[in-house]
Parts: sequence; C-alpha cells; structure tokens
Amino acid sequence: MQRIKFIDRMASGKIDRRTMLRQAGAFGVGLLVLPRLPQAAEVLTCLEWAGYDSPDYFKSFTTKHGGAPNFSIFSGEEDALAKVLAGFKADVMHPCNYSVNRFVNAKITAEIDTAKLSNWKDVFPALQTASGVVMDGKVVMAPADWGNSSIAYRTDLVDPEYAKNESWSIFYDDKYAGKVCMLDNEIAITIGMMVGGEKYETAAVATGEKLAAAAKEWGTKVVKNSRFLWNDPSELQQALASGEVVAAYAWNDVYRNLKREGIPVAYAKPKEGYFTWFCGLTMLNTGKADPALAYDFIDAWLSPDTGKLLIEGSGYGHANMKSFEVSDKQAIADMGITDPAKHMNEGTLLIQVSDAVQTEWNKVWGDLKALKQ
Amino acid sequence: MVQRRPEWLTGYSLLSPAIIIMAVMMVTPLLAMVALSFWTQQGFELDRSFTLANYFALVEPSSEPTYWMGIPFPLTYPVPAILLIKSLAMSLAITLAVIALAYPMAYFLAFHVRGQKALWLVLLTIPFWTSYLLRVFAWKIMLGFNGAINSGLKSLGVLTEPLSFLLYNPLAVMITLVHAWVAFAVLPIFVSLDKIDRSYLEAATDLGDSRLRRFLQVTLPLSAPGTIGAALLVFIPTVGDYVTPTLVGGPSGTMIGNLIQELFLKQNNAPLGAAVSITMMVTIGVIVTLFLWLIGFRRLRSRAR
Repeated sequence: MQRIKFIDRMASGKIDRRTMLRQAGAFGVGLLVLPRLPQAAEVLTCLEWAGYDSPDYFKSFTTKHGGAPNFSIFSGEEDALAKVLAGFKADVMHPCNYSVNRFVNAKITAEIDTAKLSNWKDVFPALQTASGVVMDGKVVMAPADWGNSSIAYRTDLVDPEYAKNESWSIFYDDKYAGKVCMLDNEIAITIGMMVGGEKYETAAVATGEKLAAAAKEWGTKVVKNSRFLWNDPSELQQALASGEVVAAYAWNDVYRNLKREGIPVAYAKPKEGYFTWFCGLTMLNTGKADPALAYDFIDAWLSPDTGKLLIEGSGYGHANMKSFEVSDKQAIADMGITDPAKHMNEGTLLIQVSDAVQTEWNKVWGDLKALKQ
Repeated sequence: MVQRRPEWLTGYSLLSPAIIIMAVMMVTPLLAMVALSFWTQQGFELDRSFTLANYFALVEPSSEPTYWMGIPFPLTYPVPAILLIKSLAMSLAITLAVIALAYPMAYFLAFHVRGQKALWLVLLTIPFWTSYLLRVFAWKIMLGFNGAINSGLKSLGVLTEPLSFLLYNPLAVMITLVHAWVAFAVLPIFVSLDKIDRSYLEAATDLGDSRLRRFLQVTLPLSAPGTIGAALLVFIPTVGDYVTPTLVGGPSGTMIGNLIQELFLKQNNAPLGAAVSITMMVTIGVIVTLFLWLIGFRRLRSRAR
C-alpha cells in the first residue's frame, strides 16, 4: 500500500525533494544489504606469456566450457610472482623449469594430480620426471612447451664475419651499440660472465662482490648498448624487421616469424652455447575457480593439437610425443631435434637458483637499468 | 516548518560525500603506506616490527660515491636519490615547457577570441577524447625508428639513416608528457586571464605604457595565480609518472615512479617501495611549499581578488 501510494504521489508530482531523497536513500541502503544473488561460476584466471593467450592453444577447453579463461599477461616470471603475492587471484600460471621453484617456495602452488590429465600418458617420460616438473616428490608443473634462447640476427645488417664466429659478445661490443636488443632480464649479466669465460652454472649463482663486479663490467655495458630491453616479443620482432636492431636475445618464435616474413635472419649457435628451457602449467592455490577448470585447461595445453600448433607455428617443441606424429614433417625437420632430453643436453639448460640469489639478482638488475644515463 | 541549521553544518553535509570518499580512498591507503614503510620484507613474508631501516637505506652513506651525470652520490643505495633528482629535473623542464606553450594559447583564447570561446575550449579538450595510453603510443609511432618523423624526413631526402635519438630517452618522455599536460594547463591560465578587468589594461595604455610594459606590469601579475596553479598541476603528477617512461623512455628514461613500481612488484620489497613513495611525496611537498612561500602566493592571491 505504502509503495503504491508513493508511486501515485510521485506520478502526480506531490513529492517534495526531501522525501524523494529519503526514499531514494532508503532504496540504496536496502539494495546494499540484500543478500547477494548467487553468481555464475567463477571463470578460470590464467597468468600467461604474451602470445600464449591465443585461443588456438586451448581449443578443447573453449569447446567444453563455451568460452576462454581470463588472461593476465606477464613479461617475466618474477613479475607474475609479484602480482600473485600482491593479491592477484590466478588459478593457473605458466612458469618454466628454472623458475617454478620460486612459486613453490612462495607456497602458492598446488600439487597436480596427473591422473586427471588425459594427455599425461603421452608426455615424454624424461619430462614427466624432470627437475622442475617434480619437486619434493610432487608434480608441480605439467610440462608443455620447450625451446631455445639464443641470438636472432639480421644476416644483411651484421658484419658477415659474425656468421663464422657467432658469439654472445655482440651485446657487449661497442661496434653494435644501440643496435642490439637484450631481454629485460638479469640473464644479461650471466651471459656477460660467460663471454668473460665463466661457466653458466657458476655464473648464474654468483652473489655479493662477484655479482656486483659482473654487473658493473657486463651489465652496464649490455644495458647501455641495448636499443631497449624487450619485454614483449612482438615489439622485438618489429624492431628486428625494421632493422632498428640487428641482433637480439630471442626465442624460437621470433626467429620463425621473421623467417616467414622473408626477412634475412639467422638463429645463432653462439660459441658460449645457447640456452634451452621447458615451460609448463602450474596450478596456483590463490584462484577462485573450480580446479576441474584448471585441469581442463592444462589438459588442453598438453593435447597433440596444441603441440602441432607450437611446432608448426612457432618452432617450439611440445611435451606430448604424439604432437610430433601429427605435425608437418618439414616443420619438425626445421626444428632439428625432436627429443626434449637430447635437446636439453645439446644446449645449456637454464637452472633454478635459490630465493636469496634470485632476490639479489632482481635488485642488481633493477638498479642497473635505473642508472642508465 | 523550516528549521535553520547552522551554516557550517550545511557546508559540511554538502561536502560530506567528497570528504568520505577522500577519507576512504585517499587517507586510509596513505596511512597504510606510511605504516608499511616502517616494516621490512623478509623473503616472501613481511616483518611487522617497527624500524627506520627503509628510510636509513635511502640515505646510508658510502665511502665510494656513484657517479651519475658527473655528480657524485656518496650513498650505498644511490638509485632512489638519483632517480628522485632526475625526475624532479625532468618535471621542472616539463612544467616550464608546458607553461611556455599553454600561456600563449590561453592568452589568445582570453583576449583574441570573441564569441566562440566555448567552441575553442571544446577543441582544446579533443586530445582527451582518446585514452592516455593511446596518446603515448601515438608518440611512440611519431618518434619511432620507422615512425612519422623519421620516414617523413627520409622521404624529403633530409635523412639517409633514421634518427635513433628520438625514442627511448628522457627527451622522448618529456615530449610526451608536455603534450599530455598542455591542455590541463591552458584552462586555469585562461580562467585567470579572462577574469582580468579590461579597464586596468585601458588605464595602463592611457597612462602611456607600451604593450610589453602593460603585459609585464598588469596582465602577467594578475594571471599569476592561474599560471602558478597550472604549474603545480603539471609538476606534481609528472614527477611520479611511470607509464610514460615505461613506454617511450627505455632504461635511460626511467623515473622515480618506475623504481617504486619495480620495488613493489619485481623486487618484491613493498616496504622499501613505500618508503621511497613517502620520501617522494614529502620532497614534492617541501618543494611546492618553498616555491609558494618564495613567490608570496598569499599576497598574489589577495591581490588578484
């Protein structure tokens, strides 16, 4: 009754401003204290590398659930870790063999029950038990993609002599100042130490005075010589395509894409060695979505269809053995190696370092960049 | 029926939505930040015992100075100090450039536009019709290696090799920020110029002042409050800007805002980041207060009324 009277009075214009405001206020308060209506199920949230959010990589997930997950793009694992620690609620993250320990140590991962992954049985046995996949007897990362980090360079713009003697030293050579492009990652200092004759395994874990000296000698130089420090592969790709930079730290996909565009580019086998890595999907315990969604997403990533796409499209390897049966033979031949274990041994496998070491390197690298003049 | 409420109560109740929002959205986070700056980061955990260690880290002396642009910084952790000074210097340059650009525009609007002023003001706001991020990217395209300037000059035959010093340096950051803030500065200057009583100008002319003298003696002082307001409006936010340097600055364009972001995120040291933020705010506060005191802002304001 009261309500109808109110509407009638309002319609006939008999309500003064105060009553109107009071009623509107009461309505607002009432709305706020109403029990929240049950919401639709939480959508899966994934932390992904730029480019890996393409729907082609998780087709079976989209088919089954009618939509893609939410993505948040990161440019390095440390960024993603910081974001989660700062309170970002993600369900799935895409770390790599050398970085997954950071997430485990931060106690934000959940063990993966491999029985729930239909494609797990087809994963290379060497990867199923590799360090980084299994930590303390628990599977913390489902391996998905593997590849290289090396130097992609323009054969027409770099001195022809370089092709005969490929080396990481190009980043520290003043001849190429402003023409090279390093990844925005502390590995730039490690590589410098390797150019100086140090072994990767000891260089990557240097601390204290040794690290400070290396940062001063090599880090400063590579930051100074780099046109910019790249975070986004597409930005790097454009810079290499235009000739703005002539050599860059790059993953397989940048090289593959440039080649496909018909740009004269080579992917180096530097004398200090190129890097190998494998990445995968980790379940985080910070998310709000149903873990079944996360399993479906991971399973989609492990499928041979996704593997075919990675192999043919980006030149990356895939964890599923069957991927290599269904992919284009030429693309596989271009990759060279089709066995991940052999691939890891062929290059320098990136290693995990302790939290203390990683924290120190983050700071040293951050300071180095900030002090570029 | 009508009961009179005290005037101050009406005033405050009218202000209350704004005050509540300010208290919840600004003061509380600020207090949280102050508290955070007295804690320390231990690995992934926060140590909540009170300490001044973060502030001490910013000023801890070292016998081995770090040189930056030839200036010695005798500090163990010189990065915040260097970046703060660099950011202040860059913002100062940006502010001067903005005022130099905005003042003539505002002057033209106030004295030479008859009738269509509203239209002109709308025209001024056109850059704001797109997002800030897009405008920064637009500058990236302008200044880039294959960008508008380089390819333009190349097709004119002026250049054979593209200029590489346009992008990824402090200059690119400053150009972008100047462009972004100019429109903000025009409005306050325009308002104070528009308010000037035209009879003062006539009187000055009648008394034999030249145009330049009239401008320096009458127009400039009377427009000072708006100009100073505009300068502060530009200076204060640009010191802490971080998205512009991220996109067009490269490592050499890094500003203090980037360090704060880096400390909070990548270096996972929120307490130190908070301490740097508070230090930055206090420094800006002191500089602004000193500046206003130096130019006698109160006097200026009362004169303008």
